[in-house]
Amino acid sequence: MEKLPHQTLEAKDIHVVFGGLRALNGVNLTLSRGGILGLIGPNGAGKTTMVNVLSGFQRPNQGRVSLDGVDVSTLSPRKIAQAGIGRSFQSARLFRDMTVEENLTVAGLGIGLSKAAATEQARDILDWISYRNGYDRRCEALSYSDERRISIARALALQPSFALLDEPASGMNDRECEQLMEIIVNIPRRFGCGVMLIEHNMQVIMGVCERIHVLDGGKSLAEGTPEHVKKDPAVLRAYLGDKARANAVI
Amino acid sequence: MRHLRFWFPVLALAVPLLLLVFLSGQFASAGVQRLVTEALIRLVFAVGLYIFVGNSGVVSFGHMAFAAIAAYATAWQTCCQMLKPITMSGLPAFLRDNTFPLLPAAITSVALAGLVAFLSGLILMRLSALGASISSLALLFILNVVYSNWESVTMGTSTIVGLPIYAKPWIVLGCAIAAIVIAYLFQVSRWGLALRATREDEVAAAACGISLYWTRLFAFTVSGLVAGLGGVLLAHFMGTVSITSFYLSLTFLIVAMLVVGGMRSLAGAVVGVTVISLVIDILRRAEAGLSIGSMQLSMPPGTQELILAGIMLLILIFRKDGIMGGREFQWRTLPDRGLSQGESSIGNQRAARSEFVSLEEPTAKRS
Amino acid sequence: MANFFQVLIDAVALGSLYALVALSIGLVFGVMRLINFAQADYVTIGAYSLVVPTASITPSLLFGALPTGLMIAAVVITVTLLALLTERIAFRPLRNSNPTTLLIASFAVSYFLQSLVMLLHGGRPKAVSIGGSLTRAVEFAGIRIPGVQLLTMGVAITLLLALVFFLKRTPIGIQLRAAAEDFQMARLLGVPANRVIAIAFSISGLLGGAISLLYVIQTGTLDIRMGMMPVVYGFFATVIGGMGSLPGAVLGGFIVGIVSVLLQTYLPVDLRAFRDAGVFGLVILILLVRPQGLIVTSAAKERV
Repeated sequence: MEKLPHQTLEAKDIHVVFGGLRALNGVNLTLSRGGILGLIGPNGAGKTTMVNVLSGFQRPNQGRVSLDGVDVSTLSPRKIAQAGIGRSFQSARLFRDMTVEENLTVAGLGIGLSKAAATEQARDILDWISYRNGYDRRCEALSYSDERRISIARALALQPSFALLDEPASGMNDRECEQLMEIIVNIPRRFGCGVMLIEHNMQVIMGVCERIHVLDGGKSLAEGTPEHVKKDPAVLRAYLGDKARANAVI
Repeated sequence: MRHLRFWFPVLALAVPLLLLVFLSGQFASAGVQRLVTEALIRLVFAVGLYIFVGNSGVVSFGHMAFAAIAAYATAWQTCCQMLKPITMSGLPAFLRDNTFPLLPAAITSVALAGLVAFLSGLILMRLSALGASISSLALLFILNVVYSNWESVTMGTSTIVGLPIYAKPWIVLGCAIAAIVIAYLFQVSRWGLALRATREDEVAAAACGISLYWTRLFAFTVSGLVAGLGGVLLAHFMGTVSITSFYLSLTFLIVAMLVVGGMRSLAGAVVGVTVISLVIDILRRAEAGLSIGSMQLSMPPGTQELILAGIMLLILIFRKDGIMGGREFQWRTLPDRGLSQGESSIGNQRAARSEFVSLEEPTAKRS
Repeated sequence: MANFFQVLIDAVALGSLYALVALSIGLVFGVMRLINFAQADYVTIGAYSLVVPTASITPSLLFGALPTGLMIAAVVITVTLLALLTERIAFRPLRNSNPTTLLIASFAVSYFLQSLVMLLHGGRPKAVSIGGSLTRAVEFAGIRIPGVQLLTMGVAITLLLALVFFLKRTPIGIQLRAAAEDFQMARLLGVPANRVIAIAFSISGLLGGAISLLYVIQTGTLDIRMGMMPVVYGFFATVIGGMGSLPGAVLGGFIVGIVSVLLQTYLPVDLRAFRDAGVFGLVILILLVRPQGLIVTSAAKERV
């Protein structure tokens, strides 16, 4: 798969079954370059599974993932990363014994940059996300919110066409969330890529996403603008089981 | 200044070794010089093993096979022209009937070790970390069985004698420093960086576009080459080659050295060799017997290994990252704001966590 | 034809022996991701417990002098205690370490025990004779089978069946199996960690004791590395079978045992010395085709 700026990432009719459990059941989803799509849903809705499918870590039992029409569902995670799909992880998964700068450099090397170029790029991105605690700091000594931001930055160091961010704001306080939103909103312009954002924090989702896709029990419930989704009766029903969260949505 | 900072981790290891060899050459007995040389050869083995094990986090028990391959290869080329046609009649004619110059012999032998490492790595590196470790042990066994029984070429379990003895202190020192430089250049290269990323997190490395297979294979090959170099040195230090000397005892010893020094840094490998070599020497003297007055004290055989294994276990339990704790010796100018090398990372981590906890209050208020 | 049956019996005897070893390794691996090199030394020490520690190469008997029943009990109990002791002292403090650290630790424990034996008994091989009456051959339907072979096969298969019954039918066995397949999940479901780990080690000790007795009866010699080869074969059996899978371990044990006997029988005489190399080579070839082993468990895959 050649690395070009791709225009669309499309998942068609994705089914994933774990044992007897249907984690995803016929989900369709399209990301376009330059846009920010929010992926929301209750716990167990299949959001992370979707990210795993799109980034090649989970092969779907049925359905296909394509980049500008080319099927990528059989490629390894590494090849997909190189083709231009970057992702972050819920648990950050930084290279703990390495420095912040090295974490980003590795991603640069992964897409074939020279070490010098990858290092320079790493510093650029770290500056851009306003990380100021030292390039040479080892990741195991990072604060929680720095950890989350570095995880995003590492996905961006792949120069992706699409960045998939898995709960980047979890565990952050209000001030940190606002800084994070500022960063995410600007990713498409700065990196020329599309963003898919999984998040439980509705402030963040409503604040940055142009469109929102709602999953529940492995199925698509709705997709549309934040205003549209907020009013969708099916979405409200899905969230009503969880009172606190329903309040957060509305 | 930049160069000094870049090379400092190497200089910090090489200069003391240089001094050691110089001083022992000036002032020490031939026996001590021999010990130093032997330790330096072990250093080549340890650094060779470190290149793969330290950076990949996958332990290999098979590296002594590469050392043995190189040792036999140099023996075939350089030893005992008169006896070869009789004792090793199965050798191909050009090897059996000729004796080759030392340097080309050494180079081809090391290359052969590297080639075998590459070929076996093609298979082993496809496996999971543990599967690869166990299979590397299979590799050592296979080589041992084959070389022990391939009478017409290896003389079986008998010892090949009569190799030219050229591995003198300065030559071995040169090779040891070369091994350190190779290891250092590898670990700061793109390959080394990528490999360490896979060591920290295989999944995240794949998401960064890093190939686990090729990075491991590259390191395994380089590491096999350096192990081969150690094998050649050992052969030309002893003047003899025997398959039994490249088996589990040596494997255990080298792994113990890495564990004790700390297998996650080059400095750890070197420090481990130094410490263990000292311990071994003390124990060896004790095994040989101490006479205190008219009393003759001596430790029974087996004590040395027992104590080594004990030290290794204690290190694993109480200081998992070894004496060096995974750090290199770094050139320090200003105390930097971040985590400087050698500082306790755990303390910092705790500080970071408590910061997180104290910030949780406002988060809770939001909902 | 008769020859074929003899080979078959050999193969089944050795296969079930390796299956036992593999199972004991697989159980411990399942509950704590530990590949236990020291299993080899459990076997060795079990065998050496038969004799009085001296440097002599024809030592007088210690447990070996006891009546058969007591002798078996003494050896098995010694080895089981040893296994539990190594767990308590060396492996428990490392329980949360990564598998590579555990592997290295078990390598160290193994070396420690081996040196201990050397210290107490000297490094030279020794002769010991127990169960002498069993070396007589038994004639059965025109086939002569050494009594030892029958005994090995009988004991190994009995133990194997007993263990399978224990794992499948008893509550503790089911807990153990659950823990071996997915330790974290089992703990969440209330399986006590210390207990299952202790049981896994007890079983590996018990099997280690049984294997050492069978081994001594067969060979009549003691050697400080005598436990290594069967255990190394056991390792490969678990790797071929698929790490973390107990049925895989048994399957792998039989494959390794059968291949080993077949090579021993059908290789040309001057190549027979290379038999072990052939078996190990085959292991690597199987792994080339199936890097995860024959039976892939969920535990073998890393969750994203």
